[in-house]
Amino acid sequence: MTEELVWAYCVAGAPHGVSESGVEGRPVEQVEAAGLAALVSRVPRSEFAEDALRRNLNDLDWLARVARAHEDVLEHVLGETTIVPLRLCTLFESEDGVRRMLEQEQAALAHALSALSGRDEWGVKLILNKATLEEAILETSPEAVAMRAEMEGKSEGGAYLIRRRLERHVRDRVDALAAAAADELRAELDRCVLACVTRPPQNPELSGYTGAMLLNAACLVDRGGVESVRQVASEFETRYAHLGARVELTGPWPPYNFVPGEPDS
Amino acid sequence: MQRDVALVDLVDRLLGGGVVIAGDITLAAADVDLVYVGLRALLTSVATAEEKGLLPEFGSSL
Repeated sequence: MTEELVWAYCVAGAPHGVSESGVEGRPVEQVEAAGLAALVSRVPRSEFAEDALRRNLNDLDWLARVARAHEDVLEHVLGETTIVPLRLCTLFESEDGVRRMLEQEQAALAHALSALSGRDEWGVKLILNKATLEEAILETSPEAVAMRAEMEGKSEGGAYLIRRRLERHVRDRVDALAAAAADELRAELDRCVLACVTRPPQNPELSGYTGAMLLNAACLVDRGGVESVRQVASEFETRYAHLGARVELTGPWPPYNFVPGEPDS
Repeated sequence: MQRDVALVDLVDRLLGGGVVIAGDITLAAADVDLVYVGLRALLTSVATAEEKGLLPEFGSSL
Protein backbone atom coordinates (compact mmCIF):
# COMPACT_ATOMS: atom_id res chain seq x y z
CA MET A 1 0.00 0.00 0.00
CA THR A 2 1.48 3.34 -1.01
CA GLU A 3 1.47 6.35 1.24
CA GLU A 4 -0.55 8.33 -1.24
CA LEU A 5 -4.02 8.30 -2.70
CA VAL A 6 -5.12 9.96 -5.91
CA TRP A 7 -7.60 12.83 -5.54
CA ALA A 8 -9.63 13.49 -8.70
CA TYR A 9 -10.96 16.94 -9.56
CA CYS A 10 -12.70 16.58 -12.89
CA VAL A 11 -12.70 14.97 -16.29
CA ALA A 12 -11.87 17.03 -19.36
CA GLY A 13 -11.90 16.39 -23.09
CA ALA A 14 -8.92 17.75 -24.95
CA PRO A 15 -5.81 17.53 -22.78
CA HIS A 16 -4.54 20.95 -21.84
CA GLY A 17 -1.73 22.49 -19.80
CA VAL A 18 -1.44 21.31 -16.22
CA SER A 19 -2.81 24.04 -14.00
CA GLU A 20 -1.51 25.35 -10.72
CA SER A 21 -1.33 23.53 -7.42
CA GLY A 22 -4.42 21.96 -5.97
CA VAL A 23 -5.58 20.60 -2.62
CA GLU A 24 -3.08 20.98 0.21
CA GLY A 25 -0.66 22.58 -2.27
CA ARG A 26 -0.20 19.35 -4.22
CA PRO A 27 0.67 19.65 -7.93
CA VAL A 28 -2.12 18.99 -10.39
CA GLU A 29 -1.44 16.16 -12.84
CA GLN A 30 -3.27 14.59 -15.75
CA VAL A 31 -4.23 10.97 -16.17
CA GLU A 32 -5.30 10.00 -19.67
CA ALA A 33 -7.28 7.07 -21.00
CA ALA A 34 -10.01 6.43 -23.58
CA GLY A 35 -9.49 9.85 -25.17
CA LEU A 36 -10.27 11.60 -21.90
CA ALA A 37 -8.17 13.30 -19.26
CA ALA A 38 -8.74 13.43 -15.53
CA LEU A 39 -7.10 16.12 -13.43
CA VAL A 40 -5.73 14.67 -10.22
CA SER A 41 -3.38 15.25 -7.34
CA ARG A 42 -1.54 12.74 -5.20
CA VAL A 43 -2.44 13.33 -1.57
CA PRO A 44 -1.28 11.79 1.71
CA ARG A 45 -3.22 8.74 2.85
CA SER A 46 -2.79 9.96 6.44
CA GLU A 47 -5.10 12.87 5.70
CA PHE A 48 -7.36 11.48 2.99
CA ALA A 49 -8.07 7.83 3.78
CA GLU A 50 -11.63 7.13 4.89
CA ASP A 51 -11.42 7.66 8.66
CA ALA A 52 -9.10 10.65 8.38
CA LEU A 53 -11.31 12.09 5.68
CA ARG A 54 -14.45 11.86 7.79
CA ARG A 55 -12.67 13.58 10.64
CA ASN A 56 -11.29 16.30 8.40
CA LEU A 57 -14.60 17.00 6.73
CA ASN A 58 -16.00 18.00 10.09
CA ASP A 59 -13.17 20.48 10.56
CA LEU A 60 -14.52 23.63 8.98
CA ASP A 61 -11.08 25.11 8.33
CA TRP A 62 -9.97 21.95 6.53
CA LEU A 63 -13.18 21.76 4.53
CA ALA A 64 -13.04 25.41 3.52
CA ARG A 65 -9.39 25.16 2.50
CA VAL A 66 -9.78 21.93 0.52
CA ALA A 67 -13.07 22.97 -1.10
CA ARG A 68 -11.60 26.24 -2.31
CA ALA A 69 -8.41 24.61 -3.58
CA HIS A 70 -10.47 22.00 -5.42
CA GLU A 71 -12.72 24.62 -6.96
CA ASP A 72 -9.74 26.79 -7.95
CA VAL A 73 -8.34 23.93 -10.05
CA LEU A 74 -11.62 23.66 -11.96
CA GLU A 75 -12.01 27.38 -12.42
CA HIS A 76 -8.47 27.66 -13.73
CA VAL A 77 -9.48 25.61 -16.77
CA LEU A 78 -13.08 26.76 -17.01
CA GLY A 79 -13.54 28.47 -20.34
CA GLU A 80 -10.45 26.83 -21.86
CA THR A 81 -11.95 23.37 -22.05
CA THR A 82 -15.20 21.63 -21.14
CA ILE A 83 -15.10 19.87 -17.79
CA VAL A 84 -17.22 17.33 -15.98
CA PRO A 85 -16.83 18.21 -12.30
CA LEU A 86 -16.58 15.30 -9.89
CA ARG A 87 -18.08 15.40 -6.44
CA LEU A 88 -15.68 16.40 -3.71
CA CYS A 89 -13.72 13.51 -2.19
CA THR A 90 -13.50 11.21 -5.20
CA LEU A 91 -10.32 9.29 -4.49
CA PHE A 92 -8.52 6.37 -6.06
CA GLU A 93 -5.88 3.97 -4.81
CA SER A 94 -3.75 4.61 -7.88
CA GLU A 95 -3.59 6.26 -11.28
CA ASP A 96 -4.48 2.89 -12.80
CA GLY A 97 -7.77 3.12 -10.95
CA VAL A 98 -8.39 6.49 -12.57
CA ARG A 99 -7.62 5.07 -16.01
CA ARG A 100 -10.00 2.16 -15.41
CA MET A 101 -12.71 4.62 -14.41
CA LEU A 102 -12.19 6.67 -17.58
CA GLU A 103 -12.42 3.52 -19.71
CA GLN A 104 -15.53 2.25 -17.93
CA GLU A 105 -17.35 5.58 -17.99
CA GLN A 106 -16.12 6.69 -21.43
CA ALA A 107 -19.53 6.82 -23.12
CA ALA A 108 -21.26 8.77 -20.36
CA LEU A 109 -18.33 11.17 -19.94
CA ALA A 110 -17.96 11.82 -23.67
CA HIS A 111 -21.70 12.46 -23.91
CA ALA A 112 -21.54 14.84 -20.95
CA LEU A 113 -18.58 16.77 -22.38
CA SER A 114 -20.42 17.18 -25.65
CA ALA A 115 -23.62 18.34 -23.94
CA LEU A 116 -21.79 20.87 -21.75
CA SER A 117 -19.48 22.35 -24.36
CA GLY A 118 -19.48 26.17 -24.28
CA ARG A 119 -21.82 26.29 -21.30
CA ASP A 120 -21.45 27.46 -17.72
CA GLU A 121 -23.53 27.30 -14.58
CA TRP A 122 -24.71 30.53 -12.95
CA GLY A 123 -26.30 30.94 -9.54
CA VAL A 124 -29.29 33.26 -9.19
CA LYS A 125 -30.64 34.14 -5.77
CA LEU A 126 -33.64 36.27 -4.85
CA ILE A 127 -33.44 37.98 -1.50
CA LEU A 128 -36.25 40.02 -0.01
CA ASN A 129 -36.46 41.74 3.32
CA LYS A 130 -39.62 40.40 4.93
CA ALA A 131 -39.98 43.47 7.16
CA THR A 132 -40.16 45.64 4.05
CA LEU A 133 -42.77 43.29 2.59
CA GLU A 134 -44.82 43.50 5.80
CA GLU A 135 -44.74 47.28 5.77
CA ALA A 136 -45.82 47.35 2.15
CA ILE A 137 -48.79 45.08 2.89
CA LEU A 138 -49.80 47.05 5.97
CA GLU A 139 -49.92 50.15 3.78
CA THR A 140 -51.52 48.76 0.65
CA SER A 141 -53.65 45.74 1.44
CA PRO A 142 -57.31 46.88 1.69
CA GLU A 143 -58.02 44.34 4.44
CA ALA A 144 -55.00 45.48 6.45
CA VAL A 145 -55.95 49.10 6.08
CA ALA A 146 -59.49 48.30 7.19
CA MET A 147 -58.33 46.36 10.22
CA ARG A 148 -55.96 49.11 11.26
CA ALA A 149 -58.82 51.59 11.04
CA GLU A 150 -60.95 49.25 13.16
CA MET A 151 -58.26 49.19 15.82
CA GLU A 152 -58.13 52.97 16.09
CA GLY A 153 -59.66 54.28 19.26
CA LYS A 154 -60.15 50.83 20.76
CA SER A 155 -58.62 49.84 24.06
CA GLU A 156 -55.66 47.45 24.23
CA GLY A 157 -57.99 44.58 25.04
CA GLY A 158 -60.58 45.52 22.47
CA ALA A 159 -57.97 45.77 19.75
CA TYR A 160 -56.27 42.51 20.68
CA LEU A 161 -58.34 40.17 18.53
CA ILE A 162 -58.20 42.49 15.56
CA ARG A 163 -54.44 42.74 15.95
CA ARG A 164 -54.15 38.95 15.89
CA ARG A 165 -56.25 38.80 12.71
CA LEU A 166 -54.14 41.53 11.17
CA GLU A 167 -50.90 39.70 11.98
CA ARG A 168 -52.24 36.50 10.44
CA HIS A 169 -53.39 38.37 7.36
CA VAL A 170 -50.04 40.09 6.91
CA ARG A 171 -48.17 36.81 7.37
CA ASP A 172 -50.32 35.08 4.75
CA ARG A 173 -50.00 37.94 2.28
CA VAL A 174 -46.22 38.13 2.79
CA ASP A 175 -45.88 34.42 2.09
CA ALA A 176 -48.10 34.65 -0.98
CA LEU A 177 -46.25 37.67 -2.35
CA ALA A 178 -42.87 36.09 -1.69
CA ALA A 179 -43.89 32.89 -3.45
CA ALA A 180 -45.30 34.83 -6.41
CA ALA A 181 -42.10 36.85 -6.75
CA ALA A 182 -39.97 33.70 -6.70
CA ASP A 183 -42.22 32.03 -9.29
CA GLU A 184 -42.05 35.11 -11.50
CA LEU A 185 -38.27 35.25 -11.44
CA ARG A 186 -38.05 31.53 -12.05
CA ALA A 187 -40.37 31.82 -15.08
CA GLU A 188 -38.27 34.64 -16.53
CA LEU A 189 -35.10 32.65 -16.04
CA ASP A 190 -36.68 29.61 -17.70
CA ARG A 191 -37.33 31.76 -20.77
CA CYS A 192 -33.72 32.82 -21.21
CA VAL A 193 -31.52 29.95 -19.96
CA LEU A 194 -30.94 26.40 -21.22
CA ALA A 195 -31.91 24.75 -17.96
CA CYS A 196 -32.68 25.78 -14.40
CA VAL A 197 -32.86 23.89 -11.13
CA THR A 198 -33.70 25.13 -7.67
CA ARG A 199 -31.35 24.49 -4.80
CA PRO A 200 -32.39 24.67 -1.14
CA PRO A 201 -32.72 28.26 0.07
CA GLN A 202 -29.87 29.19 2.33
CA ASN A 203 -30.02 29.98 6.00
CA PRO A 204 -29.15 33.67 6.46
CA GLU A 205 -26.49 32.77 9.02
CA LEU A 206 -24.68 30.54 6.54
CA SER A 207 -25.14 32.64 3.45
CA GLY A 208 -24.32 36.03 4.89
CA TYR A 209 -27.43 37.64 3.50
CA THR A 210 -29.91 39.43 5.70
CA GLY A 211 -33.45 38.95 4.54
CA ALA A 212 -35.20 35.87 3.28
CA MET A 213 -33.77 33.92 0.38
CA LEU A 214 -36.84 33.20 -1.73
CA LEU A 215 -35.13 31.56 -4.65
CA ASN A 216 -31.79 29.83 -4.97
CA ALA A 217 -31.50 28.74 -8.57
CA ALA A 218 -28.72 27.22 -10.63
CA CYS A 219 -28.93 27.90 -14.37
CA LEU A 220 -27.13 26.43 -17.35
CA VAL A 221 -26.24 29.22 -19.73
CA ASP A 222 -24.46 29.39 -23.07
CA ARG A 223 -21.33 31.40 -22.58
CA GLY A 224 -22.74 34.10 -24.84
CA GLY A 225 -26.07 34.16 -23.03
CA VAL A 226 -25.04 35.59 -19.66
CA GLU A 227 -26.02 39.14 -20.59
CA SER A 228 -29.69 38.20 -20.87
CA VAL A 229 -29.53 36.66 -17.39
CA ARG A 230 -28.00 39.87 -16.02
CA GLN A 231 -30.74 41.83 -17.74
CA VAL A 232 -33.50 39.67 -16.23
CA ALA A 233 -31.92 40.13 -12.81
CA SER A 234 -31.55 43.88 -13.15
CA GLU A 235 -35.08 44.42 -14.50
CA PHE A 236 -36.55 42.27 -11.74
CA GLU A 237 -34.76 44.29 -9.08
CA THR A 238 -36.11 47.48 -10.59
CA ARG A 239 -39.65 46.13 -10.73
CA TYR A 240 -39.50 45.07 -7.08
CA ALA A 241 -37.34 47.93 -5.82
CA HIS A 242 -40.19 49.10 -3.56
CA LEU A 243 -39.93 45.77 -1.74
CA GLY A 244 -36.14 45.97 -1.46
CA ALA A 245 -35.58 42.95 -3.72
CA ARG A 246 -32.04 41.88 -4.55
CA VAL A 247 -31.15 39.41 -7.26
CA GLU A 248 -27.63 38.13 -6.67
CA LEU A 249 -25.67 36.38 -9.40
CA THR A 250 -22.68 34.11 -8.87
CA GLY A 251 -20.64 32.50 -11.60
CA PRO A 252 -19.39 31.25 -13.87
CA TRP A 253 -19.37 27.90 -12.10
CA PRO A 254 -18.38 24.54 -13.47
CA PRO A 255 -21.65 22.78 -14.39
CA TYR A 256 -22.12 20.93 -11.07
CA ASN A 257 -25.87 20.76 -11.39
CA PHE A 258 -26.14 19.93 -15.08
CA VAL A 259 -24.06 16.88 -15.88
CA PRO A 260 -26.40 14.66 -17.95
CA GLY A 261 -26.92 11.03 -17.12
CA GLU A 262 -26.14 8.06 -19.33
CA PRO A 263 -26.73 8.64 -23.07
CA ASP A 264 -29.53 6.09 -23.13
CA SER A 265 -31.29 7.34 -19.97
CA MET B 1 -15.54 34.50 -10.06
CA GLN B 2 -15.25 36.45 -6.89
CA ARG B 3 -12.95 35.02 -4.26
CA ASP B 4 -15.36 35.60 -1.47
CA VAL B 5 -18.16 33.34 -2.60
CA ALA B 6 -19.84 31.88 0.42
CA LEU B 7 -18.63 28.53 1.70
CA VAL B 8 -22.21 27.32 1.77
CA ASP B 9 -22.49 27.97 -2.01
CA LEU B 10 -19.27 26.04 -2.55
CA VAL B 11 -20.28 23.11 -0.36
CA ASP B 12 -23.74 22.93 -1.94
CA ARG B 13 -22.11 22.40 -5.33
CA LEU B 14 -19.04 20.37 -4.43
CA LEU B 15 -20.93 17.97 -2.20
CA GLY B 16 -24.47 18.30 -3.52
CA GLY B 17 -23.53 18.35 -7.21
CA GLY B 18 -20.88 16.99 -9.49
CA VAL B 19 -20.72 13.47 -10.82
CA VAL B 20 -20.62 10.68 -8.26
CA ILE B 21 -18.07 8.36 -9.76
CA ALA B 22 -17.37 5.09 -8.00
CA GLY B 23 -13.83 5.83 -6.93
CA ASP B 24 -12.06 3.73 -4.34
CA ILE B 25 -13.15 6.20 -1.71
CA THR B 26 -16.31 8.20 -2.19
CA LEU B 27 -18.53 9.77 0.41
CA ALA B 28 -21.64 8.01 1.60
CA ALA B 29 -24.84 10.04 1.87
CA ALA B 30 -24.52 9.95 5.65
CA ASP B 31 -21.08 11.52 5.46
CA VAL B 32 -22.42 14.35 3.31
CA ASP B 33 -25.29 14.94 5.72
CA LEU B 34 -22.83 15.15 8.60
CA VAL B 35 -20.92 17.89 6.82
CA TYR B 36 -24.07 19.99 6.61
CA VAL B 37 -24.82 19.37 10.28
CA GLY B 38 -21.27 20.37 11.09
CA LEU B 39 -21.57 23.55 9.05
CA ARG B 40 -24.66 24.62 10.96
CA ALA B 41 -23.21 23.78 14.33
CA LEU B 42 -19.97 25.60 13.66
CA LEU B 43 -21.34 28.70 12.00
CA THR B 44 -23.29 29.82 15.04
CA SER B 45 -23.16 33.45 14.19
CA VAL B 46 -22.57 35.57 11.16
CA ALA B 47 -19.91 37.45 13.12
CA THR B 48 -17.91 34.32 13.81
CA ALA B 49 -18.05 33.24 10.17
CA GLU B 50 -17.01 36.69 9.00
CA GLU B 51 -14.02 36.50 11.29
CA LYS B 52 -13.06 33.26 9.63
CA GLY B 53 -13.31 34.95 6.25
CA LEU B 54 -15.94 32.45 5.14
CA LEU B 55 -18.73 34.81 4.26
CA PRO B 56 -18.87 37.44 1.55
CA GLU B 57 -19.15 41.08 2.45
CA PHE B 58 -22.72 42.17 2.91
CA GLY B 59 -24.31 42.92 -0.42
CA SER B 60 -21.49 41.58 -2.57
CA SER B 61 -22.55 40.46 -6.02
CA LEU B 62 -21.23 40.29 -9.56
